[in-house]
Amino acid sequence: MAEYEPKIIAFVCNWCTYAGADLTGTSRIHYAPNVRVVRLPCTGRIDFMLILQAFGQGADGVIVSGCHPGDCHYTAGNFHARRRWMLFRRLLDFVGVDMRRVTFSWVSAAEGAKWAELVNSVVADVRKLGPYEEFPQRLGGPGQKPIEVA
Amino acid sequence: MPRIGVFICHCGENIGATVDCAAVAQAAGRLPGVVHAVDYKYMCSDPGQSLIKEAIREKRLTGVVVGACSPRMHEPTFRRACAEAGLNPFLCEMANLREHCSWVHEKGEVTTQKAIDLVRMLVEKVKRNRPLTPIRVPITKRALVLGGGIAGIQAALDIANAGHKVVLVERDPSIGGHMAQLSETFPTLDCSQCILTPRMVEVAQHPNITLYTYSELESLDGFIGNFRATIRKKARSVDESLCTGCGACIQKCAQKKIPSEFNAGLGRRTAIYVPFPQAVPNKPVIDRARCTYYKSGRCKLCEKACPTKAIRFDQEDELVTIDVGAVVVATGYDVKPTSFFPEYGYGEYKDVITGLQFERLASASGPTLGEIRRPSDNEVPKKIVFIACAGSRDPAKGIHYCSKICCMYTAKHAMLYSHKVHDGQAYVFYMDIRAGGKMYEEFVRRAVEEDHVRYVRGRVSRIYQKDGKLIVKGVDTLLNSRPVEVEADLVVLATAMTAQPDAEELAQKLKVSYDGDKFLNEAHPKLRPVEMNTAGIFVAGACQAPKDIPETVAQASGAASKVAGMFSRDELSREPVVAVVNRQPPPVWSTCVGCFLCETACAYQAIEREEIRGRDGSLIRTIAKVNESVCQGCGTCVALCRSKSIDLQGYTNEQVYAELLAL
Amino acid sequence: MELLRDKAKSLLKSGAVQVVIGYAAGSATDRFRPHFARSADEADRLVFGDGCRQNLAVYLLKPEVRAMGKAAVVGGPTTLRTLLQYAVENQVSDGSAVALALEDGRVEELTSFAAVEEYLAQRPHGLSEEDRAELEQHAGRSREDRWAYWSGELARCIRCYACRAACPLCYCEQCITENNQPQWVPVASDAFGNLEWNVVRAMHLAGRCVNCGSCAAACPQNIRIDLLNQVLAQEAMTQFGAEAGYSVRKEYALSVFKPDDKETFIR
Repeated sequence: MAEYEPKIIAFVCNWCTYAGADLTGTSRIHYAPNVRVVRLPCTGRIDFMLILQAFGQGADGVIVSGCHPGDCHYTAGNFHARRRWMLFRRLLDFVGVDMRRVTFSWVSAAEGAKWAELVNSVVADVRKLGPYEEFPQRLGGPGQKPIEVA
Repeated sequence: MPRIGVFICHCGENIGATVDCAAVAQAAGRLPGVVHAVDYKYMCSDPGQSLIKEAIREKRLTGVVVGACSPRMHEPTFRRACAEAGLNPFLCEMANLREHCSWVHEKGEVTTQKAIDLVRMLVEKVKRNRPLTPIRVPITKRALVLGGGIAGIQAALDIANAGHKVVLVERDPSIGGHMAQLSETFPTLDCSQCILTPRMVEVAQHPNITLYTYSELESLDGFIGNFRATIRKKARSVDESLCTGCGACIQKCAQKKIPSEFNAGLGRRTAIYVPFPQAVPNKPVIDRARCTYYKSGRCKLCEKACPTKAIRFDQEDELVTIDVGAVVVATGYDVKPTSFFPEYGYGEYKDVITGLQFERLASASGPTLGEIRRPSDNEVPKKIVFIACAGSRDPAKGIHYCSKICCMYTAKHAMLYSHKVHDGQAYVFYMDIRAGGKMYEEFVRRAVEEDHVRYVRGRVSRIYQKDGKLIVKGVDTLLNSRPVEVEADLVVLATAMTAQPDAEELAQKLKVSYDGDKFLNEAHPKLRPVEMNTAGIFVAGACQAPKDIPETVAQASGAASKVAGMFSRDELSREPVVAVVNRQPPPVWSTCVGCFLCETACAYQAIEREEIRGRDGSLIRTIAKVNESVCQGCGTCVALCRSKSIDLQGYTNEQVYAELLAL
Repeated sequence: MELLRDKAKSLLKSGAVQVVIGYAAGSATDRFRPHFARSADEADRLVFGDGCRQNLAVYLLKPEVRAMGKAAVVGGPTTLRTLLQYAVENQVSDGSAVALALEDGRVEELTSFAAVEEYLAQRPHGLSEEDRAELEQHAGRSREDRWAYWSGELARCIRCYACRAACPLCYCEQCITENNQPQWVPVASDAFGNLEWNVVRAMHLAGRCVNCGSCAAACPQNIRIDLLNQVLAQEAMTQFGAEAGYSVRKEYALSVFKPDDKETFIR
């Protein structure tokens, strides 16, 4: 069997972290290719259900990242998001979800190097933890085709 | 069925050298719903864009995914190309194969696989995109400027000179603000009134400016381009249309000993008064709280004196409603009074004054006609002590920030004193000298080197009176913290600049945010310094943070240019990335249950209440409604809504989920 | 009991309310069921006892009950907290419902939100000692044990949504589970869907739950889902000082913030 490759799904805001990851690119800083980025306007838009869904979709690790406090493009979206994460983390931890697999971070549009380091360290950590097999998968398993729309 | 076209760009070698673009296009071609998939060297070039346009027409595409660089780079380019081929531009999405893939990973199968995944995500998303139209908002091309100090004057003149109507509201009887009170201005020492009063007159005479003095904002409703302001014109008790400003009433007034606000309490005024001789408008008001007639029912000396019969004792406040498209907030600042400082005598020592009071002493139009004479006995002080940072940068006093202008005006005060009292000695106690600005440091050096002002680095712990002198006790931290004692004749405190006492109330009326010190917040500390987080409201001057005149004027002109820019169009057009509350056919109407918990989550106050009524007018339910002109599209409300009744156009739940399920 | 009946009768007779929502005897001696008294005769069937635990405020929002007219609702502190939370959430307006607060056999009639606030201000806040100890005991176990416990418990969930029906604050007309574009929570009762449903239920009640325990009481599988609510209520209290249902002031823990909210986990 080939070596296990962690599957990492990242939810990032458009204005800071997505732009930061763009900067990683323009700076040609290499990092692990395991991450798939879902771009949203703001961390305030990141529904906690998406994080659960990512695990249900076979993710071994999840990254949630946005603007540093005070830097939100929308003034306060990240402050609201932070409160949501605080409660959500507490709940998941209480029911025994492995919180080492969810990484929250602030990566600004200027922190191209930080994005690369973040992805690399998450990939390395999750690689050590192994596949997240105990988390139940969405019916049909990973890669299930979404319902076709007319 | 969706008919999606996928276009993979090599970006020359940028993507092509690392990612097998042909393989990505091939894999994309096999995705359900994809009817066309090609790769090309430079998709953003003319021939590249033509490929997309032709495919849209020939294959009747319902959606386009361009796998190329970051959408932050070329999304507008490709959306425009789609629009030119007749496809709604919001049916085009980009997969970031360059910044997020080829530039950051090694060449190989894994990287190509990632590129395929990214394309697949966006294909699933774009299938669920809906055609959107940019939001258009009409604009009322009239600006409201709040505050008639130099910031408001500058903003009003700039907007008016750009050809737009302006309503300038000032709560005092005259415009001019703090700048009219100043003697000379640093670092040029030009006379403040000499440079300001022509501007004041220009405001009064400008055909595009309507001036409301002795008036205040009562309420503001609406949103960008479409505000409705209600202004309270306080009763002047004088008919402005009849008054000629002759001043006969003022000479006859029985009340002559009211402390003059304009002279910072150092001079006296009458009950019917104009704040200062150059006031605009130069028409008096009656201070009803102090007028003999309003207190006792008898007097009316002014009425008898008035040659044009302009006195109106029965005048009432008047409410005026005006539609405006933009608002500039320039309401200025206040300074801490000397009574704020117990260690300096609680304001009980007459010869401990504020910097603003010193401005009046030094001013040729002031109570001493520009001679430096101390308030207690009208003597010329031979030793004068200036204390910088009185309150500012003092967490113990609850003021953490630097008031920014004190270092400079203290140097100016010391200099003016030295110029006027040749045998006098000026001392300045300071913490640091902050003289950043064009010719500012040179100015301070001049005070020290040419005018021999003695700067003592250290704080003053106490001031007390002894034998008609003020004993100033401090330390000199540059001399091993040696105690210093000065027997002063006059002490001037550079008291902290603070927000207006009613700044919070104003902010709530305007629905704009403010900081812990009640200074109003700009939309972005670096990149949007004159806008506020409520679209269409701009900020200028010291109501936003302490600042000096040049900075205030610059910010005011900045705000004015934003307003003029906005007014240069007939409509505002914005990206339709906004939240929308769902509406459904009756009897459901909407899945929104009207809990309005989203209200406080919105930084823009975009959540409004919509009443759904039956044909007979009875209220069926109240649901949330997003004002699309105000919404900025962050989606915080969307994530918060439990019943998923709000969705964000361009990033709908369905779209995001589809992206996720493609992984 | 007589006090309650008399109070109900006088309210109905004076026309102050058209219905009193209370408890009546159930199918067994220790069982009670909700009772909607609209006349003096019906008021005579009102009872109150130890087993009366269901939070009756849940009925205030039902269209059928609203159609009866103004209601008085019988209950203890958590019922009163529900009323205030309804006020915060724009569901019940001041003066449109009367609360009959029961305590040690006494009945107090509270006709305004201000009166309810004042009443609650004098009662203990927060979780009880036992609840807190139980939470600590759960949280004190290893992550693996917690996961084993909860994945085992949630596997028994049959997704009947009795918890949702019993909860006075689950009043959405279209629940997220009924949303199928996208299908946020899979319909079938599988491990993933069960976890998702129970997490989303707790999160949607975070900062709103009044800890009445009706959810767990209604669960036919006897799963302690109330613990999930409690842990979030406790977290909202310690982190944000937020406690639902003690005031009509809108300060929902998740739609307000402080710039200096303390957090240690964000890199």
